[in-house]
Amino acid sequence: MVALTLRLCAAAAALLLACGPVLAQVEPERAEAQIKAAFLYKFGGFIEWPPRAFARPDASFTIGVIGAEAIAAELEQLTAGRTVQDRPVVVRRLKPADALSGVQVLFVGRAESARLGEVLDAARSEPLLIVTESADALAKGSTINFVQEANRVRFDVALAQAERASLRISARLLAVARKVVTSS
Amino acid sequence: MTRFLRPSSVRHKLLAMVLATTLAALVVAIVAMIGYDLHGYRESLISDMTTQADLLGRTTVAALTFDDPRVAQENLDLLRYRPRIRAAALYNARGQIFARFAVDGGGEFPRLPEADGARFVGDELVLFKRVVSDREIVGTVYLRAEHDFYSRLAGYLGIAAAVAAIAMLVAYLLSRRLQRMVTEPLQAMAEVAREVTEKRRFSLRAPKLGQDEIGLLADSFNSMLGEIERTTRNLESSNQEVFRLNAELESRVKERTAQLEFSNAELEAFCYSVSHDLRAPLRSIDGFSEALLQDFPQHVPEEGRRYLSRIRASTQRMAQLIEDLLNLSRVSRGALERREVDLSELARQVLAELRGREPQRQVDVSVWDGMRAQADPRLVRAALENLIGNAWKFSSKTDQPRIEIGALADGGRKVFYVRDNGAGFDMAYANKLFGAFQRLHSAGEYAGTGIGLATVQRIVQRHGGRIWADAQPEKGAVFFFTLEGGSDGREDDSAGRGQPG
Repeated sequence: MVALTLRLCAAAAALLLACGPVLAQVEPERAEAQIKAAFLYKFGGFIEWPPRAFARPDASFTIGVIGAEAIAAELEQLTAGRTVQDRPVVVRRLKPADALSGVQVLFVGRAESARLGEVLDAARSEPLLIVTESADALAKGSTINFVQEANRVRFDVALAQAERASLRISARLLAVARKVVTSS
Repeated sequence: MTRFLRPSSVRHKLLAMVLATTLAALVVAIVAMIGYDLHGYRESLISDMTTQADLLGRTTVAALTFDDPRVAQENLDLLRYRPRIRAAALYNARGQIFARFAVDGGGEFPRLPEADGARFVGDELVLFKRVVSDREIVGTVYLRAEHDFYSRLAGYLGIAAAVAAIAMLVAYLLSRRLQRMVTEPLQAMAEVAREVTEKRRFSLRAPKLGQDEIGLLADSFNSMLGEIERTTRNLESSNQEVFRLNAELESRVKERTAQLEFSNAELEAFCYSVSHDLRAPLRSIDGFSEALLQDFPQHVPEEGRRYLSRIRASTQRMAQLIEDLLNLSRVSRGALERREVDLSELARQVLAELRGREPQRQVDVSVWDGMRAQADPRLVRAALENLIGNAWKFSSKTDQPRIEIGALADGGRKVFYVRDNGAGFDMAYANKLFGAFQRLHSAGEYAGTGIGLATVQRIVQRHGGRIWADAQPEKGAVFFFTLEGGSDGREDDSAGRGQPG
């Protein structure tokens, strides 16, 4: 029994090993989108939202995506059937002017970086996690900002906006952040 | 006391018993304790390392989730505060090594994570543990920790050996003291038993040291000794009595034998001289009777001649009687000279003489060949003359007289016999057969002096053999005799077969 399990595991691991580099090599952009989508989904496990963030106790966990179709598509694929904090995950493609109520995570892609300030201002008072992928986004009011470092996706965290949004970010998440900005 | 103790004495057996029991109990207890402890140690080590892996997993979830090997490495490096852990690694969800940690080169890492679980490999514990976050496997923790299972076992065995040695020593000393309760009464009894056996001192008594079974044994032993003592005393006194009586009897027998021998010798001498001296006057009587008849035939009337004939017959009979008595006397005297004797030849000679005397008689004679014995030839011949002469004589009135001289084997002994089909006799008179002057038939029927069988018996007895007869009136008689001393005690039953003491 143990031997069989071991062998199955080894087979699965071998498959993963075989696939991983291929994904990374063939389409670096898609790989980046996949990683960022996964990060967006997984942030949910390390952050506590205030109760007011959810309209109802059984409301879904909503990730809003602005200006990043590839990531939205990956997210949809990734989160299908999955939950965050025991809530089903819903991916919503938003426009910069859309209302943000009922959204727990908001991702603003590079495509909308020009209108970043506008979007962030609108979201400033909402209990949501703002994730961006633009330089100096943290200064503009983002909470987490993806950065590229040595072919690896990393992120910086700014605690000012998190405090405003009443989010409690796990120390474990902070531990793996490239940089944590404590005050603006 | 100690010289009495052989290696297999009860003391040593008891000691060996106690020590063996102690050792067995110790071994069982020690094995159980060590087994229990090592099992516990193993379980606690596995549980400890599993917890460690869990902790590590929890702290590295974020690093694994957000693909941050540096943080993972930092977390792994904290393991240097757990000196027992020699190597650790983190595998990501795809099974690739994500971060690793090793002490002193730490050896190799498995290329792929294995299933969750812990196992012992040599002196190391190898453990895999999945890192789970939000019901998803984000990676695997690999831990390799050294365990001192064997050094622990060795330590325990050392302690166990020391404990066992001390326990055995204590048990030895204790049982040496305690066993005296059992062995001392036994030894005392054994000592008494040995002394009784060696010195035959039945007056000794074993001390009773206690009220247990051994005390009971001592009591029984003592009462047995008392019984033996009494019996022995009685036996000794009655033995002495028997000795005394025996000695008395012996001296009396000696006395009587001497008397008997003396009177016997006297009697024989007397008999010989009388017989010898009787012959001279007898010859005169016979001679002068004959002279009277021949010299004065006309002066002696017919009736006087008849008287003279009767005087002559009587004197001749008396001469024969005297001759036989002298023969009997002769066979009793003189040395016995044993030689190889051919009885068949002797018998034939005797028969030839008899035939010569009475050539008109037709007797069917059969003599076995090769009958030999170590005997005095002169005496054996005299015996055969008498026996065959008797057979010849007593078969004279039978229609088809038959005489057979043969031998049979009785055990290792040769028994010779002389058989006839003559007058025989009534076995009721068998005990008178061999007495001197004893006659079963009247002189009118068969001539004879009644001394022949007495002579034969004397001859046989001088050879150490015996003689007996079997007969039926008018059917014949058989005389059996041996010429060697019997060693089978058959002599005793001879009286019943016609031989007086």
